[in-house]
Amino acid sequence: MTTESSAAPITTVNFLTRIKDNLPVVVVSFFSIVLFILVGFKGGAPQLLNVLVTGGMWALLATGLALVFGVMNIPHFAHGESFMVGAYVAYFVFNPLNKIFLSTGSKFLIYSGPILAIIAAGLAGCVLGIIIEKIIFAPLRHRTKEGWVMNAFLLTVGLSFILVNGTTLTLGPNFRGIPRYYDVKSLEILGAYIAVDRIVATSIALVTIGLLWFFLRQTKTGRAIRAVSQDETGAQLVGINLDFIQTLTFSLATGTAAISGASLLFMFQAYPTVGLTPLYFAWYVVMLVGLGNIAGAIVGGFIVALLQSATQLFIGLSWQSVVPTAIMILVLILAPSGIFGSEVKGVQEQ
Amino acid sequence: MLELKNLDSGYDFLQVLWDVSFIVEEGEFIALIGPNGAGKSTTLRTIAGLIKPKGGDILFKGESIIDKPPHIISRMGISYVSEALNLFTDMSVQENLLLGAYAVKEKETQLKTLEYIFELFPRLEERKDQLAGTMSGGERKMLAIARGMMSTPTLMLVDEPSLGLQPNLTYDVFAALLKLVKQGVTILLVEQNVNATLDITDRAYILEQGKIAMNGPSHEMKANEHVRNAYLGI
Repeated sequence: MTTESSAAPITTVNFLTRIKDNLPVVVVSFFSIVLFILVGFKGGAPQLLNVLVTGGMWALLATGLALVFGVMNIPHFAHGESFMVGAYVAYFVFNPLNKIFLSTGSKFLIYSGPILAIIAAGLAGCVLGIIIEKIIFAPLRHRTKEGWVMNAFLLTVGLSFILVNGTTLTLGPNFRGIPRYYDVKSLEILGAYIAVDRIVATSIALVTIGLLWFFLRQTKTGRAIRAVSQDETGAQLVGINLDFIQTLTFSLATGTAAISGASLLFMFQAYPTVGLTPLYFAWYVVMLVGLGNIAGAIVGGFIVALLQSATQLFIGLSWQSVVPTAIMILVLILAPSGIFGSEVKGVQEQ
Repeated sequence: MLELKNLDSGYDFLQVLWDVSFIVEEGEFIALIGPNGAGKSTTLRTIAGLIKPKGGDILFKGESIIDKPPHIISRMGISYVSEALNLFTDMSVQENLLLGAYAVKEKETQLKTLEYIFELFPRLEERKDQLAGTMSGGERKMLAIARGMMSTPTLMLVDEPSLGLQPNLTYDVFAALLKLVKQGVTILLVEQNVNATLDITDRAYILEQGKIAMNGPSHEMKANEHVRNAYLGI
């Protein structure tokens, strides 16, 4: 059939108008590159790797937040507690495991210990996510969608209280940390010595983000998750089980946060409120790039880490939370939907 | 194939449908006609499972579907092309279509349907990599119908496909629906364009103020005095 008349012209956008259309992105990219070069110049390779380590972690946490917000419309303020649970699980799995593996003397076992602990934390996170979703959010969702965003927000705050205080009650307020995962000499990269733990943590963050990205882009279930985030009714009409997708999404988000908590156990010791700082930074990231924007969350994670590093190097360590916060306020004033300006379905709808 | 029995439905405290009963036989092309606010869309949304009915029953192939969630109803073979289209606007045309076949397990069936749809709507094939949200209104409508076909449904509920379309596109959409009926798909069509609708459908139900006011073969309805006065403006 012919539909000539309905043809929207295929626009060939030239370079300049493209820049103009994406001005915030271009400006942010430009400043990020400049900052990256400056940080590299002043701090050298260790500082750049630091950006990668923290950036990877913020990106991983922010991706979880973006997913949960995009798909379920939950402003998740208990996301830090998933991080905390991951850290605890890794601590309690790694120590005994390491003892056993050390006694066997097998290098392979000793090296795989941390990986096993991190995987265990990830799995525990996924299970915790399923339990939380089924006990708390699913019943509310089935009862009423009225005032959902606010109700869900309050629920996550309450959940955060329960998890933090429950942990304090059962495990006590003590710090539980490990000096390092890998008891080996630091690697020399570009003339700087870098702890193997950092390299492993960065790799894990990048691999997890990569897998998550692949899952969302290339698999049928991943496509269904994105479909729900774009149009819930449409998703139901093509036969997607909303309950399944929402539980899966929450589980994935909790699991990935647990993985980042576990892989950074050498930096952040496990204690009840360890999740607070990561939570705040993950929220900076999603607010900076726009709520519910997953691709943006990944890029944003690294931008925020870069900002922190730059502040630390050029202004002073104590300013490293102030500057990102100030920039976030500016972003909220100038581009309220974030620099990558994504529209989020539910907020206006519900 | 589809039977509504004394259906009462609506939103929260607002009841829209009152004791609506009708039957759609296999292979039929049925029109549901009525003024704005009569409850046509509500009827379709209730059948699709998006609204829980307040009373009565809906039977599909002899099985009650009122307690089933929308995704199960969709998987049973009822495809609802909503008025709002509910497309996945940030995804490409191809991804939208593949999602339409979400519940179809066999990859071969999926590809075959996709091929058939591209034959039916060549425009969609040309634009398969374009984001659904960047397409024109007519193209979106076609995409929504095409996506509804991807699940290889036996019954399609099509809500106002001509809304906001220029006349020649409306004709295209109707032609596509007729083709589908010839393929053996049963269609329940809600339309404002009463004249054209009565020309192509087999039977029609007239819904007024949430109640079925009359029904009969479409050509008879077209000759009916009330229909001519109220809907055809003759």
